[in-house]
Amino acid sequence: MFKKAISTILAAAMTFSLVACGSSDGGAQSAGSDNDTKTEAAATADGDYDQITYAFVTFNTVPDDTSDVEEALNEITREKIGVEVHLMPLSIADYTQQVSLAVQNGEIDIFHTLGDLGNSIASDMCYDITDMMDTDAKETKELFEEEWLKTTMQDGRLYAIPTLKPFALQPMLLYRKDIAEELGLNMDTVKTAKDLTDIFAQVKEAHPEMTPLAPVSQGDSGLTRWIPNIDWLGDSFASPTGVLQGEDMTVTSYYDLTDFEDYANLVRDWYSNDYIMKDAATTTSAAAELMSSGNYFAYSASYSYPLEDTAASLSAPSGYELGAIALGDAYLDTSSINAVAQVIASTSENPDAALKFLNLTYTDADVINTMLYGIEGRDYTKNEDGTVSYPEGQDAATVPYTAQLSCGVLGNFFIQWPLEGSGSEESLKWEDEQNHNAPSSPAMGFTFDASGVQTQYTAVSNVIQQYLPGIACGSVETESALAEFRQALKDAGYDDILAEKQKQLDAWVAAQ
Amino acid sequence: MSENKSNIKKVKNKYAKSGPLLLIAAPGILYLIINNYIPMFGIFLAFKNFSYKKGIWKSPWNGFQNFKFLFQTKDAIIMTRNTILYNLAFIVIGTVFAITIAIFLNALGDSIRTKFFQSALLLPNLMSWVIIAYMVYAFLNSDSGFINNTIMKALGKEDIAWYMERGYWPFILTIVYLWKNAGYMSIIYLAAIAGIDKSVYEAASLDGATKLQQIFRVTLPLLKPTVIIMTLMAVGRIFFSDFGLFYQVPMNSGALYATTQTIDTYVYRGLMELNDVGMSAAAGLFQSLLGFIIVVSANAFVRKVDNDNALF
Repeated sequence: MFKKAISTILAAAMTFSLVACGSSDGGAQSAGSDNDTKTEAAATADGDYDQITYAFVTFNTVPDDTSDVEEALNEITREKIGVEVHLMPLSIADYTQQVSLAVQNGEIDIFHTLGDLGNSIASDMCYDITDMMDTDAKETKELFEEEWLKTTMQDGRLYAIPTLKPFALQPMLLYRKDIAEELGLNMDTVKTAKDLTDIFAQVKEAHPEMTPLAPVSQGDSGLTRWIPNIDWLGDSFASPTGVLQGEDMTVTSYYDLTDFEDYANLVRDWYSNDYIMKDAATTTSAAAELMSSGNYFAYSASYSYPLEDTAASLSAPSGYELGAIALGDAYLDTSSINAVAQVIASTSENPDAALKFLNLTYTDADVINTMLYGIEGRDYTKNEDGTVSYPEGQDAATVPYTAQLSCGVLGNFFIQWPLEGSGSEESLKWEDEQNHNAPSSPAMGFTFDASGVQTQYTAVSNVIQQYLPGIACGSVETESALAEFRQALKDAGYDDILAEKQKQLDAWVAAQ
Repeated sequence: MSENKSNIKKVKNKYAKSGPLLLIAAPGILYLIINNYIPMFGIFLAFKNFSYKKGIWKSPWNGFQNFKFLFQTKDAIIMTRNTILYNLAFIVIGTVFAITIAIFLNALGDSIRTKFFQSALLLPNLMSWVIIAYMVYAFLNSDSGFINNTIMKALGKEDIAWYMERGYWPFILTIVYLWKNAGYMSIIYLAAIAGIDKSVYEAASLDGATKLQQIFRVTLPLLKPTVIIMTLMAVGRIFFSDFGLFYQVPMNSGALYATTQTIDTYVYRGLMELNDVGMSAAAGLFQSLLGFIIVVSANAFVRKVDNDNALF
C-alpha cells in the first residue's frame, strides 16, 4: 500500500511537472512561431543574438500581441547591440507579483521598481551593475548628475538606473475654473493650503450643495504633500515614518512635526464646516471620478509638470475645465529620484545585453518611442511638429499596441515624442530646469536599508493605515486621535525605526 | 500459505471493487496533491531570509525571525481575538440560521415555492465580496447612504458616520455574513434532512407528536452528526477569516480596525508594503498550525463525548 501511495505521488508529481514544462514551452513556442511568420531569417538568427525580456507596467490596455513591436525594436537592436528583446507589458495590479515570480524563475532580465527599490535590493532581486556601467551604458551615465545615481546605490554599489523624467513634484490645487470665475474668486492669493479656508467658505456659501474639497484617493486629502521641505528618507508619502525637514539632520517623526498638527487641525476644521467630503477617509472613488460628478470644487495632489499643462491634461478626465495653483514648492529628495528605477534582474543570464538595451531606452529615440507608441502607421502617426497622434478614427483604447501612459516609467522622458497637444518645448525646458534647480534635501543620495527593522515596519505600517487617513481627512477629533496614534506607533516599535534611520544617516553623513 | 493466498485474493478483490471509485476520485486527489501538498514545500520559506538570487533552497535560514512581526504590537491580541470571536459567532449563529432555513424549506415540501426560495437564498452566495461591499456602502455611506438619508431622517435622528464608528461593525459584519452564507450552508442540512427515513416521522405522528415536537425530537437529533462534521471543519479554519468580508466590506477604513482587523487582513496590510515572501509564509504557517491543533483537540473532545460522530 505504501509503495502504491509513493508511486501515485510520483506519478502525480511527474504529471504536474509535465504540465508545467508544457505550458512554459508553449509560451516560448508561440512567441517563437510569431517571429517565424515574420521572417525566416529572424528565426534562424534567433541563436546568434542575446535574448532579453523586459517587464514593465502599462497603464493602457495590455496588448494581446507584442511580436510586431518586438520585431520593429529588434531591427534596431540587432544591428546596434546584437540583442533581441521581448516585451512583457503588465497591468499595474499584477505587476509586483508577476515580476517577483518571474525573477525567481529567471524569466525576465529587466524590470522597474515602483517605489520599492530598497526592498528589491534587500531581497536580492537586483543585479549589481556598478562595473558594467562604463562599458555597457556609458551614454546613459552621462545623462545623470552624480548625485542622482547615488539614490540607486547601496554601500557604494549601483543596483538600478532611475527613470529620467521630471522628478520634482509640486503640491497643487486643481479647481473648477467655471466656479472660480462665477464667484470671482481670487485664486492668486492662495500660497499655501491655509489660504484655502476663505476660498472654500465662499464656494460653500454660494453652492451649499457642493463640497469644496475632494480627496485624491482614499484617505488622501493632500495633507501629506503640503508640509514643505520634507525628505521622506525612503518612505512613501502615503505612509511616512521618520523624516527630515529642511536643513536639520535629525530624524524626526513625521507626526510630531508642528506642521503636521497644524494642517491636521486645519482639515478637521474643514470637516466640521463640510468643506471636505465626509467620506474622504473611506471612499474608493478617485479624484477625477468625484470631480466629474459635479459635486466638488477642487482637489489637491502633486505633479511634476507646469501648472497650466497639468490643469489642461487633467481637465478631460474631470469633465470640467480645471485651473491649477501651487500650494508650495517642489523639493527633491532621494525617493523623488529613485521611485521608478530600471533594474536588471539578479537571475538574468544576459546582464550585459540587458544593460546595453537599457542604455538605448535612455539614448535612442526610436527605441524608446517604439516601446511607447508601437508601429508607425498602425499604432500612431507622427505630426510635423514632432508630436504623435493616434491614426485617424483610432484612440488609445483601439490601437493594437500603445503604452503611452508609461511615459513616466520607461527610460528617458526627455527624448520621448510628446502626444499631440502636450509637452511643448517650453514645458520640457521648465521640467528639465526644475530637475536641476529645485531645492533638494541635504540628505540627497542617502538610501535607507530597512532590512534590519522589517518587523517593526510591518507593524508600524498597519498602525499608520489605521490612523492616518482619518486624521488627514479630518474625520476624527484631531487631538485625541493624534495622541492615540502616537502611542500606538510607540507600541509597534516606531522608535526602533527612527533610531535605525538616524544611525544610518549619521554614518552616511560621516562618509560624505 | 493458503491463508496468505486467500489474503492476496481478498486484497485484489478489494481493489477490483474500489478501482472504479478511485478512478472517479482521481481528479480530486490529483487536485489536492497539486494544490495543497506540493506547495507545502514552501513551508521552508517561513524560516528563511529569502533571496531571489539564491532561490528557495540556498537562501539562508533565519530561525523564527519571520514570525516576530505577528506579535510585534498589542494588535496581535486584538486581531486574534477578532478572528476567533467572529468565527465562533459565525459557526454558532450560522449553523442555527442554516438549520432553521433548511427545516422551513423542507416543510414547504416539493413545490415551486421551495425552488424559488432556495435560489433566492443562494443568490447572495454567488456574488463577489466587492459587489457586496458596495451594496453595503449604498446603505451606510454617510453622504448619500440609504440608512442616513431615509431611516435616520424618518426617526429624526442624527446622521451616523458608519465607517468611522467601530461599535456597530460586529453586528454589521455578522448580518452581512449571514445574508451571504446562510442560504448556501442550509443546502447541506436540507440534504441531510431529506435523507432522514420518512417512517420515523410517521411513527412520531402516530404517537401524537406535533410538528414542533417532530422538529425538536426527530429532525434535530438526527442532524447531529452533520452538525458535528460541519462544525469540526469550520473549527479547523477558526484562525482564518473570510478576507473579503473583513477587508472589502468595511472599505478598508482605518478607524474600524479595532473591530474589523483579523489575522488575514493584518498580514495583508503589513506585507502589501513590504512584499516579503518569508513573512507571508510565516503567517500562513502560524495560522495553519493553530488550526491543526484546534481541529485535533476538538475531534478528541468529540470522540470522548460521542465516539461515533468523531471525524477521525
